[in-house]
Amino acid sequence: MANDRLKKIVFDWYIYIVLVAFWIVSCTVSPFFRTMSTFSIIFVSAVPIALVGLGQTFVVLSRGFDLSVGVVASLATAIASVTMHWGIGPSIGLILLVSCAIGVINGLGVSKLKIDSFIMTLGMMFFLNGVTLLIRPSPGGFIPVNFKRALLYQVGEFPLIPVLILLLAAIVGILVLQKRKLGREIYAVGGDPESAKMSGVDVDRTRIKVFVVSAVSSACAGLFVSARIGSGNAEVGAPYLFDSFTAVFMGGTLVTGGVGGYKGTIASALIIASIGHILQFLGITIWYHFIVKGLLLAGVAGLQLFFVRRERT
Amino acid sequence: MNRIGRFQLIDVQPLILVLALVVIMAIAGFLTPGFLTFRHFKMVLYCNTMLGILALAQTVVILSGGIDLSIGSTYWITVMVGALLMVKGEFLVPAIVCILVGGLIGLVNGLGISRLKIPHVVMTLAMMIILTGTLYVTTGGGGRGRAAPELIRLSTGRVSGFPIITLVWLLLTVLFYIILRMTAFGWKVRALGSNLSACYCSGIRIWRVQVLVYMMSGTLAALAGLLYLGWARTPYPTFQSGAGVGANIMLQSIAAVIIGGTLFSGGRGGVGRTFLGVLVLAVLFSILSMAGLGVEWQIMLNGIIILAIVGVHSRVGLQ
Repeated sequence: MANDRLKKIVFDWYIYIVLVAFWIVSCTVSPFFRTMSTFSIIFVSAVPIALVGLGQTFVVLSRGFDLSVGVVASLATAIASVTMHWGIGPSIGLILLVSCAIGVINGLGVSKLKIDSFIMTLGMMFFLNGVTLLIRPSPGGFIPVNFKRALLYQVGEFPLIPVLILLLAAIVGILVLQKRKLGREIYAVGGDPESAKMSGVDVDRTRIKVFVVSAVSSACAGLFVSARIGSGNAEVGAPYLFDSFTAVFMGGTLVTGGVGGYKGTIASALIIASIGHILQFLGITIWYHFIVKGLLLAGVAGLQLFFVRRERT
Repeated sequence: MNRIGRFQLIDVQPLILVLALVVIMAIAGFLTPGFLTFRHFKMVLYCNTMLGILALAQTVVILSGGIDLSIGSTYWITVMVGALLMVKGEFLVPAIVCILVGGLIGLVNGLGISRLKIPHVVMTLAMMIILTGTLYVTTGGGGRGRAAPELIRLSTGRVSGFPIITLVWLLLTVLFYIILRMTAFGWKVRALGSNLSACYCSGIRIWRVQVLVYMMSGTLAALAGLLYLGWARTPYPTFQSGAGVGANIMLQSIAAVIIGGTLFSGGRGGVGRTFLGVLVLAVLFSILSMAGLGVEWQIMLNGIIILAIVGVHSRVGLQ
């Protein structure tokens, strides 16, 4: 009995065990890793991954893919860099509005037009990529210092605001998925859309909401990135597409939808951010990160289905 | 929509395309002198040969109900591998190695998708980023190496005024038309795209067909890469739009397939339609560049076209 309970705890929290193990190994391997400033950077660079992963978790749970997350983040940095001189508030408002509209369009396409979520968001991704390049053909633009300072606020070496953002994302993600009606509907739709419909879930509305959440959280990630890099860049968001998938799948959310949650995603975001840094500390050039990330994504997706198949048969 | 209605739309889509092509070209010819000459048309075909071959490969994959997002990076990786191997001027061995590399990438994709059951989007996306990393690790981001003289002669050569590589593209299109129409493999590919469980029940070894399809796609992408290398003489990979190396041409290949009237969900369509799709896309791009609109407009147009056509298809119940 105690054994079973232990097994369940390990099964539920395995990703955190991996995270801690990874940190311990990294700290022993590299002396540079053992500093507060490293962990501070890891938390800061995990924020966009966690935010993009928040939306992607919702979408994958409801049996979809959102390929437009990275470009929405880029678009947010581009709009921010062009409009921030009007004032921070209006600019953020505009970005949230635009991302809402993108989410609604994605959602309408997927739910009402019954377009495969993958091709819908792929088309959207390239459309927005063109738009972003029009707004900001080359990196640059103006981001107010206040905005940067506020989002990256540190107490000593502890990145207070980034950690708070992570916590907030975690609370919102977990609460909405576990306790709110929307969350339960997402699980129902992802588990089996037909039976969800039979039991009175408005599948179309749920799908639209899911894509809105995804677009808005990606836009927030983009805002954070723009504060970090202090400018707008049309290409900066692209890598977050891969990271979001890796974070979601590594966190135990099934590729097939309906099973999983945000708890794993946020730990995976920390792992992905840590991997980037340990590779750097070991003196491995940036281009190897792409290979590592790609292998990780394919490996995680493959392993996951392998284990699930074993469990079910 | 009723049954008759939807059969009509998918069957007349090539006709609509031909009409659209004629109208577009008439307008462009009216606005720009020199647009409606045989020479310009030949040039448009020549410039889009590589896209044509990639779209051909993508058609086979989409017909089987899949998608290959790594097609553009496979294309660029062969350009790079070929250039590095051909530095000393050899042609045959590097060319064979390139084709094998393409086939190997396809094999890995196919095995991951069919045996490990990784969703095709995730598998080919992961492959794309792995190849992007590999490309930069080996070249450091700049162009290195050059094409062999034979390859340059092949890629820039003409047979009685007609570019050789365009002929290669046309021949491949005919070949794949025959393969898809007249061989058991072709029918299996279509069957896979239209109903997977029926395929399973009728004893088709699904994984073999899938692996073959992705290998075909990888090999064709490698071939296109080789031809491009001979054309450009030295590789110049750029970190293109969206997600990784080759994202741009990958999207164009998907757009060409969908414009041509192959169903995105698989099962219906063919390479002849894709040929028309490439023509339409090529003429549109040529107009865009004549109007002085840059690559970002092309990317945008690609996205819009894909969304519009997939939307119309699903509106009339074709998805």
